[in-house]
Amino acid sequence: MADEITPRRDPIKSSVGNVAAQRRRQHAITVAKERREAVVRTKRLCRVGVGGGGDDQLTYDDDGDGGDMMIDAEQSILEAQTCSAVQDLKLAMLFQGKGAMQKRVAALREVRRLLSRSEFPPIEAAIKAGAIPLLVQCLSFGSPEEQLLEAAWCMTNIAAGKPEETKELLPALPLLIAHLGEKSSLPVAEQCSWAVGNVAGEGEELRNILLSQGALPSLARMMLRNKGSTVRTAAWALSNLIKGPDPKAATELIRVDGVLEAILQHLKKADEELATEVAWVVVYLSALSHVATSMLVKSDLLQILVERLGMSNSLQLLIPVLRSIGNLVAGDAHVASTVLVIGQSITDSILPALIKCLESEHRVLKKEAAWVLSNIAAGSVEHKKLVYASEAVPLLLRLLVTAPFDIRKEVAYVIGNLCVAPSEGSGRPKLIADHLVFLVSKGCLPGFIDLVRSADVEAAKLGLQFIELVLRGMPSGSGPKLVEKADGIDAMERFQFHENEELRCMATKLVDKYFGVDYGVDDE
Amino acid sequence: MAMEVTQVLLNAQSVDSTVRKHAEESLRQFQEQNLSVFLLSLSGELAGEDKPVDSRKLAGLILKNALDAKEQHRKYELVQRWLALDMGVKTQIKACLLQTLSSPVHDAHSTASQVIAKVAAIELPQKQWPELIGSLLSNIHQVPAHVKQATLETLGYLCEEVSPDVVDQDQVNKILTAVVQGMNANEVNNDVRLAATRALYNALGFSHANFSNDMERDYIMRVVCEATLCPDVKIRQAAFECLVSIASTYYEKLAPYIQEIFNITAKAVREDEEPVALQAIELWSSICDEEIDILEEYGGDFTADSDVPCYYFIKQALPALVPMLLETLLKQEEDQDLDEGAWNLAMAGGTCLGLVARTVGDDIVPLVMPFIEENITKPDWRQREAATYAFGSILEGPSPDKLTSIVNVALNFMLTALTNDPNSHVKDTTAWTLGRIFEFLHGSTVETPIITPANCQQIVTVLLQSMNDAPNVAEKACGALYFLVQGYEDIGSTSPITPFFQEIVKSLLHVTDREDAGESRLRTAAYETLNEVVRCSTDETASMVLQLVPIIMTKLHQTLEAEKLSSDGREKQNELQGLLCGCLQVITQKLGASEPAKYAFMQFADQIMNLFLRVFACRSATVHEEAMLAIGAVAHATGPDFAKYMPELYKYLEMGLQNFEEYQVCAVTVGVVGDICRALDDKVLPYCDGIMTQLLKDLSSNQLHRSVKPPIFSCFGDIALAIGENFEKYLMYAMPMLQSAAELSAHTSGADDEMIEYTNLLRNGILEAYSGIFQGFKNSPKTQLLIPYAPHILQFLDSIYMEKDMDDVVMKTAIGVLGDLADTLGSNAGSLIQQSLSCKDFLNECLSSDDHLIKESAEWAKMAITRAISV
Repeated sequence: MADEITPRRDPIKSSVGNVAAQRRRQHAITVAKERREAVVRTKRLCRVGVGGGGDDQLTYDDDGDGGDMMIDAEQSILEAQTCSAVQDLKLAMLFQGKGAMQKRVAALREVRRLLSRSEFPPIEAAIKAGAIPLLVQCLSFGSPEEQLLEAAWCMTNIAAGKPEETKELLPALPLLIAHLGEKSSLPVAEQCSWAVGNVAGEGEELRNILLSQGALPSLARMMLRNKGSTVRTAAWALSNLIKGPDPKAATELIRVDGVLEAILQHLKKADEELATEVAWVVVYLSALSHVATSMLVKSDLLQILVERLGMSNSLQLLIPVLRSIGNLVAGDAHVASTVLVIGQSITDSILPALIKCLESEHRVLKKEAAWVLSNIAAGSVEHKKLVYASEAVPLLLRLLVTAPFDIRKEVAYVIGNLCVAPSEGSGRPKLIADHLVFLVSKGCLPGFIDLVRSADVEAAKLGLQFIELVLRGMPSGSGPKLVEKADGIDAMERFQFHENEELRCMATKLVDKYFGVDYGVDDE
Repeated sequence: MAMEVTQVLLNAQSVDSTVRKHAEESLRQFQEQNLSVFLLSLSGELAGEDKPVDSRKLAGLILKNALDAKEQHRKYELVQRWLALDMGVKTQIKACLLQTLSSPVHDAHSTASQVIAKVAAIELPQKQWPELIGSLLSNIHQVPAHVKQATLETLGYLCEEVSPDVVDQDQVNKILTAVVQGMNANEVNNDVRLAATRALYNALGFSHANFSNDMERDYIMRVVCEATLCPDVKIRQAAFECLVSIASTYYEKLAPYIQEIFNITAKAVREDEEPVALQAIELWSSICDEEIDILEEYGGDFTADSDVPCYYFIKQALPALVPMLLETLLKQEEDQDLDEGAWNLAMAGGTCLGLVARTVGDDIVPLVMPFIEENITKPDWRQREAATYAFGSILEGPSPDKLTSIVNVALNFMLTALTNDPNSHVKDTTAWTLGRIFEFLHGSTVETPIITPANCQQIVTVLLQSMNDAPNVAEKACGALYFLVQGYEDIGSTSPITPFFQEIVKSLLHVTDREDAGESRLRTAAYETLNEVVRCSTDETASMVLQLVPIIMTKLHQTLEAEKLSSDGREKQNELQGLLCGCLQVITQKLGASEPAKYAFMQFADQIMNLFLRVFACRSATVHEEAMLAIGAVAHATGPDFAKYMPELYKYLEMGLQNFEEYQVCAVTVGVVGDICRALDDKVLPYCDGIMTQLLKDLSSNQLHRSVKPPIFSCFGDIALAIGENFEKYLMYAMPMLQSAAELSAHTSGADDEMIEYTNLLRNGILEAYSGIFQGFKNSPKTQLLIPYAPHILQFLDSIYMEKDMDDVVMKTAIGVLGDLADTLGSNAGSLIQQSLSCKDFLNECLSSDDHLIKESAEWAKMAITRAISV
């Protein structure tokens, strides 16, 4: 209620300090808001696992097969929109006036939005309208971050298209790779690695081009950053890039300074999503490169993998971890003797972890676990005893009867390996009689005879080998009777005219030796 | 029943502090022991014609303070307390108050009129004291002028205090009639006429119906215009204040009067005393404000609708208005640049000229150019300064096409003047004008660059030289440099500033060390300019920015070494610490954004954090806002490693979150908690119990400024995103809070623009919380816990959609929440969403939005919903 009623207006000529401090504060709020949105965006678009080791490709949008809630734009309309969006982008690129940057980013965003349409992204239309050279231009050095992000995002989605569409990105690859470097902001580097990963997933030819242009060292260094999503994307892209079949890339990767340490650290400490992607890198390293395998084996990787295998319940993570363990155990003969030493805690903990996998509902897990077990069972007599004494055996016996073929085959390897001692020199393997007797008494023979009947040569051979063990090794010559009872003779006689010579000979020899003219004479 | 309080009231104003304190203490005790008797005694004192004027005045003042307080929470308590008082007591008090209005003692009736307005503000909305206005109006016809004056004053205060919707139109009409009659030229008593004019100022907000009636409006306008010609200067000033208010409240009714308004304002600006002339200029500034707003709503597209059409008063008045304003520019005061609070004819004229330029754009240029050309080289500094000031004022508004060629010619002249003009006032305005040139005509969006490789070095050199000039000139030179570097913020990887970077930084640091840097806010300007130089720098100069870190750290360290400061010294220390923390904030943000630089910067992180903690420690109970802001930047740069600072930092976070009084500090702290959540992710978990407790307390407090509440909700989202399903234990507290806030913010009917804006901020905060919680729980085994909340959230989305008043930001966040709900709850949400009233319409509307961000969120939501429904 003062006399002066009107508050005075701020003079036009004022001190810069007032405006500046206010702006600075506002800027901090804006930055925080953008970061919050980025976090939410990442969580929302958090992609489904890259499981299976197949050629899964990545787009931001997951499939959402058209619900009945909205009518989707007709494909032709979408294509027309794309065409005009690319035209707009072309104009925006030429425009130099006020707000040029905002115009460009808005036009890019529209293109990216259309390319992110869930069902059939109009990639072809975008390419035909000339999007690629424009996008390449948008990636030029010194462009604003927002623009780089949008352009790289567009490319990520194009790279997820058909093979011939992905190839159209060839002119963009050097720039995408350049933006992976340390000078780029993390979001830009991450988006570019996403795009590069999609390109690498396309096939060997593009992988080789990416490798020759130096994508590998940059992606490898991204593994060393401290931001989870960056490492995850880089790992995913790397696993696509080193897929081979040439082992050179895998060897190169493991030799990059710090990569081995980063792999170990992430597998040890990272969340499951990140660990999953890193584990896939290990899968390819251990599958392809001897150099990598021997370096990995010397580290405490196996220990870490076994711990992960024991603790995690995430299928996405268990698969690559299990496969890595298998690759390492199978790939390096020393592993069983030097790492999985009897009496060490790692050896004690690996079996329960594998049993957990054998018990799981998931077919791939069962199969991979059996595969790892078969490799352990192929080790020393002590290793065989360990497996034999474990709770794995009843499970294996059951699986040999009930599981699908591919699992049965792996299980058969385990059981077979349990019954023979490591061979010394040439000649037929020595038997471990008590194992054999026990396992046969538990009814495993019909399972093997079943394998003999399969069309799979390897499985059939395995079956025949086991029959040979039974015939030779069962005490007091009870083998032939058991085989006959299980319809084994019939199964072997099928090989009489088999095209595979090795199998034919094996079967004929066995039949001749054990069921020859003298067979049955003693009984009468 | 009343008690004798005269002596105590007089003692309470004694010069002897012991006597005074004793009296104050007795008054306090009296009030606590028996409020009714206390207030009654005071009102009796105020009404007592035999009492000394000093005790009457203080009695009234204490009464007034017992009815109202600035602080919302306290105010609410006082209102409730008054309403609870015994009706009989209140009737007696009110009778005393009304009686005092007739007192011949000015201080008594003037105080009484203020108290009456306060009581009215409490009682009229409750439909109590219905006879008040009637009895006041009956006073108007009494003969003694002082009664009339006191009554008009009361009506004025009443209109100021009471919301228009609690007074009947019939009573409004009567009040206006009484007031306008009192303003009339027939009223011979100037005190009455002044009181009436001031009362009208407050009553204008009540007069919408009357202003819609041509006859009533004509009458009011005629009386107001006549009053602007009254011989009494105070009445003329008050009348112009009424006109200013009319211009903004009833812009659309001005057309018939605009010619006369121009005539009387022109006369006042040229001939009248300064307070009146200032109001006359203010009138045109207000019209500019209105037209700028309207034209902004048009958005340059003349087919678009605006509630109010633009009458283009400024454009029409331009040929006469501009010369009038230019004349005022020549009426500078000698040392106005040294006085921060100065406000005079020249300053108001230039400010108005700037608004006119923004209103009419290009049209102003040919009207101002001759004035500039004629005066800019004159020997009298006033003419040179006025010409420069005029030029600087019109740089915002006209198109670059119109200005670029002129500026290209002027630039050299300005640079020379800044170096050579003998008058510091001229140099001050010249540096400011250069700053305006860079602010509006330089930058990535400007087609024809003003600054070229050819003149860049010269410009920088001149500005740096001027930093050694008088503090006010140096301050303006800093401002010019600020806008110069800001123009290069989007420059890319190579900046024209790079070659001068080191020199600029050196000069600015030198300025901050000047002995006289405390004058004209020079030190602040230098630091803020340094910040902008850093913010707009490129990777080329990252190493030099890095070198700044230890320098600023040392300066901050020095402020902590000072011992035993006077209160003035502490204030200065506090201000300097603020500037230095602000500088470290900007540097941290800059270096944290590029990987190699961040790596190098991290070596300082421990020391910097240590300094910030010491800055906190040198105050007892409050948290330094700038230091807190800077800590947010450090958290972002450090990432998960920031965890090591948390044990020590935590108590200051808590302190910041508890700071209700300086609510900006609380708001900044809430923001920093968000930064920390993003940096630490689930490592923030151990601190969440404390933080959540504090945030929930903040929300339930009615002491905390409302502007902090939306960010607190957003912060819930940040926490949930960081700790995921661990947020479980807070659900039972946070969800009901969100739910009740959602209910409150669902409907805005009848709210004004400001309230709608706030409501949308609140909605956005609530929705960000929901998004964060849903996304935090996604893929966890505990998503089931959220199912019970889904129906309410969907209902909230329904109701804000139906309300049709959400802004684009809310729309984007809201449709995102719909997607998050579907994404996280999956098939559990499918049927709920299908049952929802408006989700489908809402989604379709968002899908067809022009706003990319909304569209993008909507497409994502669509996908999530499709998936949820199909499972």
